[in-house]
Amino acid sequence: MKAEDVVFAPVRRLGELIRDRRLSPVALAETFLDRLERLGGRYNAVVTVTRARALEQARRAEREIAAGHYRGPLHGIPYGAKDLLATSGGIPTTWGAAPFKDRVFDFDATAIRKLEEAGAVLCAKLAMVELAGGMGYRQPNAAFTGPGVNPWRRDAWSGGSSSGSGSAVAAGLVPFAIGSETWGSILSPAGNCGVAGLRPTYGRVSRHGAMALCWTLDKLGPLALTADDCGLVLEAVAGRDPADPTTVDRPFRHEPADPAGRRFRFGVLRGVTDGCEDAVRESFERSLGVLRQIGTVEEVALPELPYDDITRTILFAEAASAFDDLIESGAIRGLTAPEDRYTAYARDAILAKDYLKALRLRGVMAREVDRVLAPLHALVAPGRAAEAAPLDGQVRSAIRGTARDVMGAVGNGAGLPAVAVPNGFGPRGLPTSLQFMGRAWEEHTVLAAACAYQSLTDWHERHPDTS
Amino acid sequence: MSEPEAVRAEVETMLALVRERYGSRLSAEELAGVRTAIEGIVQAAHALRAVRLTNADEPGQPFAAYRAIP
Repeated sequence: MKAEDVVFAPVRRLGELIRDRRLSPVALAETFLDRLERLGGRYNAVVTVTRARALEQARRAEREIAAGHYRGPLHGIPYGAKDLLATSGGIPTTWGAAPFKDRVFDFDATAIRKLEEAGAVLCAKLAMVELAGGMGYRQPNAAFTGPGVNPWRRDAWSGGSSSGSGSAVAAGLVPFAIGSETWGSILSPAGNCGVAGLRPTYGRVSRHGAMALCWTLDKLGPLALTADDCGLVLEAVAGRDPADPTTVDRPFRHEPADPAGRRFRFGVLRGVTDGCEDAVRESFERSLGVLRQIGTVEEVALPELPYDDITRTILFAEAASAFDDLIESGAIRGLTAPEDRYTAYARDAILAKDYLKALRLRGVMAREVDRVLAPLHALVAPGRAAEAAPLDGQVRSAIRGTARDVMGAVGNGAGLPAVAVPNGFGPRGLPTSLQFMGRAWEEHTVLAAACAYQSLTDWHERHPDTS
Repeated sequence: MSEPEAVRAEVETMLALVRERYGSRLSAEELAGVRTAIEGIVQAAHALRAVRLTNADEPGQPFAAYRAIP
């Protein structure tokens, strides 16, 4: 089989072809490296193509598989990593920020190391919003690599903040990517680019070697063409890591197929589509019709609490501390988006007492949402309230308070897993998305639900024209 | 003092603090952007303060006593 024929094949399929020695890992790596080098710039998706490391890993995979040592479904599979994960070997790790564009670490982040152990092939460090968006950006042009360009429409945004992770998967530049989410940074690019994105439970994946934006909110997770692929990747990167004390020793195993006829119980938060664009609401209503084929859908409610304010206060306070040196020294002047150069100074207005109140309220929030989720398999909601923003427009953001996002505030504030998958298109030809959010450590449940949804729909089989 | 007045007063106090610390590096336009950001922060703080908690409601605890191994 020719490697160029499988550019939009799911990871699971690629893995089977490699395992059966019908597809060469080296040829596959060459194909995606060529696409990264040829098309990466079109979408501002790539910071560094890691050709030498990729070919070394691909050749090793080919040798091992030929010798009968098959590591599993990621063996020989190319991927890209958001450029906030440390990589050794002289590969820069820029955090998307001009002040760090030449910075090099001498070690690999745990997620990178675990993927190497699984046999995956690192082909690129992918573009991102500078400092993962923690400085208050309001526009797509907020990275030294330029605004993330959407493969479905090149005057639209792909982000953020894992912009390159979303666009690279959507454009067939890599079969999967690693992104990070503090609030929305996996689900948003997945939704904007029409791919699947999985935000794991806080503590599921080690953040050792990842840029810290907010110690109590940051999560790493995969973006891929299908929810099933996200499960394969999560299985490889999940697990306890002594270098990240927030990780736990809970096994995660992705089951590829659910028993036929499994029924789900879905909840929809009252008012969850308030503020959504009409096309997003229409896609969501259509999705609920699909979900009723595999389960029940009921309206549920959370008690009145200032959910957005809780998570936003935690995010702002921790980000101000995480980047204290950059802010105090004035080095934020070197960032790309003008508003990123001064907005963080406002965070001196957060009192320690208010930050602690937010942390205490987070506990209440976590208990309340768990109470609502306990009888359900998942809460479902639109992945994003709107089609992707135009490149020359403003980004609506719950983080800055210019949009509401209760699912994001609660899900990230309480550290809950969620997966977003494509569920339609809006009037500008850009994808809309559907998210499934579950109880803590229930990735297998939200993935099963998302896989069941994708077995009944074909949105994930549509790809942008990259010719 | 009404709630909106309390918010406005707190915004001005916090803006004065930021101006004192960083004013020399901020243009008038940037300071206006900082004011907008502070308004959001103070409004969020007032929303948090309006919720009553009990003494038993503690933050999630990532802290653990440390002892090197072995």
